[in-house]
Amino acid sequence: MTRLRADDLTLGYDDRAIVTGLDVEIPAGKVTAIVGANACGKSTLLRGLARLLKPRHGAVYLDGKAMTELSTHEVAKVLGLLPQTPVAPDGITVADLVGRGRYPHQGWFRRWTGHDDDAVARALDATGTADLVNRPLRHLSGGQRQRVWVAMALAQDTDLLLLDEPTTYLDINHQVELLRLLRRLNAESGKTIVLVLHDLNLASRFCDHVVAMADGAIVAEGAPSAVITAELVEKVFGLSCVVVPDPVAGTPMVAPS
Amino acid sequence: MTATTPATAGTVRISRRRRAVRALVVTSALGAAAGALFVLTMMVGSFRLGAAEVVASVLHLRDDPSVDFVVRELRLPTAASALAVGLALGAAGTIFQQLLGNPLASPDFVGITSGAGFAAVTGIVLLQAGGPVVSGLALCGAVVAALLMYVLAWRDGVAGYRFILIGIGVALFFDGLIGYLLTRARLSEARQAVHWLTGSVGQAGAGELRLLLGALVFLLPVALVLRRQLRALELGDDTARALGLRTELSRAGLLATAVALVALAVAVAGPIVFVALVAGPIANRLLGPATGGIVPAALAGAVLLLTADLVAVHLLPAPLPTGVVTGAVGAPYLLWLLATTNRQGDGG
Repeated sequence: MTRLRADDLTLGYDDRAIVTGLDVEIPAGKVTAIVGANACGKSTLLRGLARLLKPRHGAVYLDGKAMTELSTHEVAKVLGLLPQTPVAPDGITVADLVGRGRYPHQGWFRRWTGHDDDAVARALDATGTADLVNRPLRHLSGGQRQRVWVAMALAQDTDLLLLDEPTTYLDINHQVELLRLLRRLNAESGKTIVLVLHDLNLASRFCDHVVAMADGAIVAEGAPSAVITAELVEKVFGLSCVVVPDPVAGTPMVAPS
Repeated sequence: MTATTPATAGTVRISRRRRAVRALVVTSALGAAAGALFVLTMMVGSFRLGAAEVVASVLHLRDDPSVDFVVRELRLPTAASALAVGLALGAAGTIFQQLLGNPLASPDFVGITSGAGFAAVTGIVLLQAGGPVVSGLALCGAVVAALLMYVLAWRDGVAGYRFILIGIGVALFFDGLIGYLLTRARLSEARQAVHWLTGSVGQAGAGELRLLLGALVFLLPVALVLRRQLRALELGDDTARALGLRTELSRAGLLATAVALVALAVAVAGPIVFVALVAGPIANRLLGPATGGIVPAALAGAVLLLTADLVAVHLLPAPLPTGVVTGAVGAPYLLWLLATTNRQGDGG
């Protein structure tokens, strides 16, 4: 079952193609990690899936319809994205920022309603940021700030949520905390989550499905236990390693040799 | 999704209502202040009038030829142009600052005002033009400078710093050309040109003023409607697109609105510096950070300019052009802004 898939997708910037002729299906209701070396095209693929990049060739399909045929406003009600380095105006408060996630549910005439308040409250509760509502974003710690951004994306109230390297600037504790939060969202609401991740161990531990990329193409995809192997790590990252079971969860764990 | 505790929903609702009430109070207060200053401007002078007389005359409630002459013929045009130019500069300034995510990105600094100045000075010096021709040229100059900026800086959307650096370059380029023209000018034309470049609400022509007032009636509501898009654009292009915004279209619409407002304001009163720069931050200071209201900023601009005009014409020993006063007030603010944004390290 899939709601989001790409067929023969070619993406690039200026005259350089980054992703070429790629086919992928994102399993519905699952947490999917896109992994790969730096500059392998994983963020480009995510941006392509979120319609931020126009395909050079091929297409991305959302619920069976080509994304380019759909109105971007309608897509925003189904598919949300948290970019790698989101920006916010100086001094913005948490309530204001999370409220802006309601944009796609408003229109020229339909303004803010109690329903929007409830959606914002749900997003704050889900991310444990309810007690921060009146605080300015810049006074928060990195971990809190990232949870607030997730809350902004959650307020959009979409079935699919894409996150571009959401753990990059976080310490190990906050990385795990964020991934647990995403797992919980997936378990409680059946949200389909796709994230670009650097850490293979965390990807194995917290994701149902892994898409491994190298040079703009998919090298392997499937359950972490099937995908994360010593051969694959060698092939994708050029790192020789031993893969052992994680002592807590039994999922694959990479130890460089 | 997780069931919401009623407490959180309540907190969210209270927080939003508090912001809405604050916005309403601040906007009303700024509106009242602008209205009071507008009337006050028409009361003072060598022939003093009461507030009731001014209001009655402006609204045509009473006929008193001598009062009507002083109010409608002598003082109303200046007061109306200070109000209109202030509104236009305040709204345009805050749109630019929010669009580029930088408090320094006011139209004064990104070359648009300089483009207008260059065109106007060209008219004065080379064509011996005056009045409406100079205003028309200033209008065209501002629009050409804005288009030039768009072409030079707007590849693949906007990067705040690049736009501002190119803007400063464009401004310096036009300022250099203005300097060169002035050295070639005859003394009387050079004086006229420098006077124009200082900016003064007293120099407004009736035609230009009417055009600006008409534009405000149309463009302020447009800016209000586009504010929703502006709030999404403030979160960066990727987030805005993910939220379902057509970023290029929205940005072009906002930019066109702001450029039209600035260009008309400059055509009416010449380049009055710093009003566009400080109006938005003043409104934000009153409303709370990052609230970015366009109407409060426009009203703050009107309050500033009406005050500056009162000071320039009535409080100082000799009447001065408005631009001198706004410059004297604005320069220290700019220094403070440069110092504090650098300290935070996030000036871009």
